[in-house]
Amino acid sequence: MSKYIFKRLLIVIPTMLAVILIVFLLMNLTPSDPASVILGPNATQEAKDKLNQEFGYDKPVLVRYFDYVVNLVQGDMGTTYTTSRSVFTEVTMRFPTTLKLAAIGITLAVVLGVPLGIVAAVKQYSIFDIIGTATSMFMASVPGFWLGLMLILLFALKLGILPSYGNATWVHYILPSVTLALPVAASILRMTRTTMLESIRQDFVRTARAKGQIERKVIFKHALHNALLPVVTVAGTEFGFLLGGAVVIEQVFSINGVGKLLLEGIRMKDVPLVTGCAVFICFLFMIVMLLVDILYAYIDPRIRDRYTRA
Amino acid sequence: MAELTQTQELRENQDVLLEINNLTVVYKSDEEIVHAVNGISFQVGVKETIGLVGETGAGKTTTALSIMRLLPERTGFIEGGEILYNGMDLVTKPQNEMRMIRGSLISMIFQDPMTSLNPIMTVGDQIYESLEIHNTDNKTRQQLDERVNELLTLVGIQPRRKKEFPHQFSGGMKQRIVIAIALACEPQLLIADEPTTALDVTIQAQVLDLMRELKEKLDTSMIMITHDLGVVAETCDKVAIMYAGEIVERGSVEDIFEGKQHHPYTEGLFGAIPNLEEETDRLSPIDGLMPNPTDLPSGCKFHPRCKYCMDICREQVPPVYLEDGHMIACHLVVKED
Ligand SMILES: Nc1ncnc2c1ncn2[C@@H]1O[C@H](COP(=O)(O)OP(=O)(O)OP(=O)(O)O)[C@@H](O)[C@H]1O
Ligand SMILES: [Mg+2]
Repeated sequence: MSKYIFKRLLIVIPTMLAVILIVFLLMNLTPSDPASVILGPNATQEAKDKLNQEFGYDKPVLVRYFDYVVNLVQGDMGTTYTTSRSVFTEVTMRFPTTLKLAAIGITLAVVLGVPLGIVAAVKQYSIFDIIGTATSMFMASVPGFWLGLMLILLFALKLGILPSYGNATWVHYILPSVTLALPVAASILRMTRTTMLESIRQDFVRTARAKGQIERKVIFKHALHNALLPVVTVAGTEFGFLLGGAVVIEQVFSINGVGKLLLEGIRMKDVPLVTGCAVFICFLFMIVMLLVDILYAYIDPRIRDRYTRA
Repeated sequence: MAELTQTQELRENQDVLLEINNLTVVYKSDEEIVHAVNGISFQVGVKETIGLVGETGAGKTTTALSIMRLLPERTGFIEGGEILYNGMDLVTKPQNEMRMIRGSLISMIFQDPMTSLNPIMTVGDQIYESLEIHNTDNKTRQQLDERVNELLTLVGIQPRRKKEFPHQFSGGMKQRIVIAIALACEPQLLIADEPTTALDVTIQAQVLDLMRELKEKLDTSMIMITHDLGVVAETCDKVAIMYAGEIVERGSVEDIFEGKQHHPYTEGLFGAIPNLEEETDRLSPIDGLMPNPTDLPSGCKFHPRCKYCMDICREQVPPVYLEDGHMIACHLVVKED
């Protein structure tokens, strides 16, 4: 098992190099340059060139990429162009907010999605199933910002019971995390329903009934436990995405998370900041996916065997 | 021959454990109604083994699931008839009472051992679960654990392997574990739905021997569902031949293997009727297909495939010919009398 984890951690390195390269190339493709953005349209070409030189932006993109990687290996993520602060500080300062949002969001989504998915499967074609499936279809297809705006309209403007922006107190987290959670809950619901429907029809579930097991235990102990893997995958992946900062939602609710930071960085053509965010997000995502895999092994002995043998 | 009649007499004096009368089962969906079992009747005596034989789709599993009351909830329905177990009707039993019977008094072994076990539970836990559910005399955890070991030993698996998961066992061993689960509470009736079809030929014999041995040891009655006439000859006291949801012939093993008269379908199954000593493993194929259970033929359901088919067979449901417990439902047999 530990050998497997080690192997998985090794994969992080090439993935990271690729991600950084892509960020560099993409940032290079977009028009304009950092100095022009920072100094504004009225600055002289001379001043701009000088600033770009200071940033090292005059060098070819691949050289900059190489320099960046060398620094990163030494634990230096560079300083931002715009604030001249350490990128690491910028990102880690914003991260707790994003983490809180993501954690509340995913918890809500699981707490909503899994039980409703079970009910929809166990009572297939019933009113619960129809309403649940229809609502989840709706939730999965509306854009997040629209949902956010609608919730703001209702709870902040009309009813006036919840704040619509910022992240000063926990109450501020309610609307954004609900907005985040609903679509995720929808996909968890659908995944739970599908895998439960499959699981319920399995022979071993019938064996459990043939033993005289009570229905509740047949469903939870046998069917659900076997249906968990795909649900864990969905929840884990979504959590990984949420950790990357919910760019749109943070924007809608003016929350200073990693997503908003990333967006600011892109707008300012702040290459070190954007790359730093990307590295950070990518790393977290891979850690989360590794945890999901470890959780797999915990749930399913067949996978556990495969890991230990590999 | 003297020995045969003696055992037969013995059997007829035995108490009836399970009596099925006129059982009718359908599967309903939005589009169609599948007539899976159409008014079958048979009895299982105490300590007796009855073989349920027929082609695929004859309604064997459906019959078994009806006895267990495990038909798929929204599609499978018992439309009529009764299933008397020790005199009480299982058809009208509420599910919570049925639950107490399942696994303790009546157990079932399913067709495919590869999928019958929960892949993420240790085999020990799965046997333990059976014991725990019906632990009416409040045995301690330790006592139940002890019993798990006992059961594993009984089916020929080392108790120290109880912490292992199903995927770590071979097909034959899985079926042994399934048998251990089924016999955990020493049921009075064991329904075995093609317990060996999914296994290698060499292992089939082992598993069958084991089942026979345990059945003797525990005085269990058994319904043995099978395609395999060899299995019937080896394990059964009585046989019921099923076709399109009906029992077309029923009798003692001797009646079926050595009797003078047979239903044409049975004849077809055996090819030329062999005797008990001769090796006949597989059912020989009969021309044509089992009728569509959503649209069964009129009269005798076998008539489209019957080589002796007469006009009356197309129009009238055949009467039942019965002699010394040997039942045949066919116009032909009655006419000859
Ligand atoms: N859940 C179901 N829904 C609808 N029809 C079904 C269902 N289960 C079985 N049937 C139909 O009922 C009929 C009897 O099926 P059953 O499984 O009892 O046959 P069987 O004798 O056990 O066959 P096999 O030897 O293949 O196991 C078949 O025509 C089958 O297609
Ligand atoms: Mg079957």
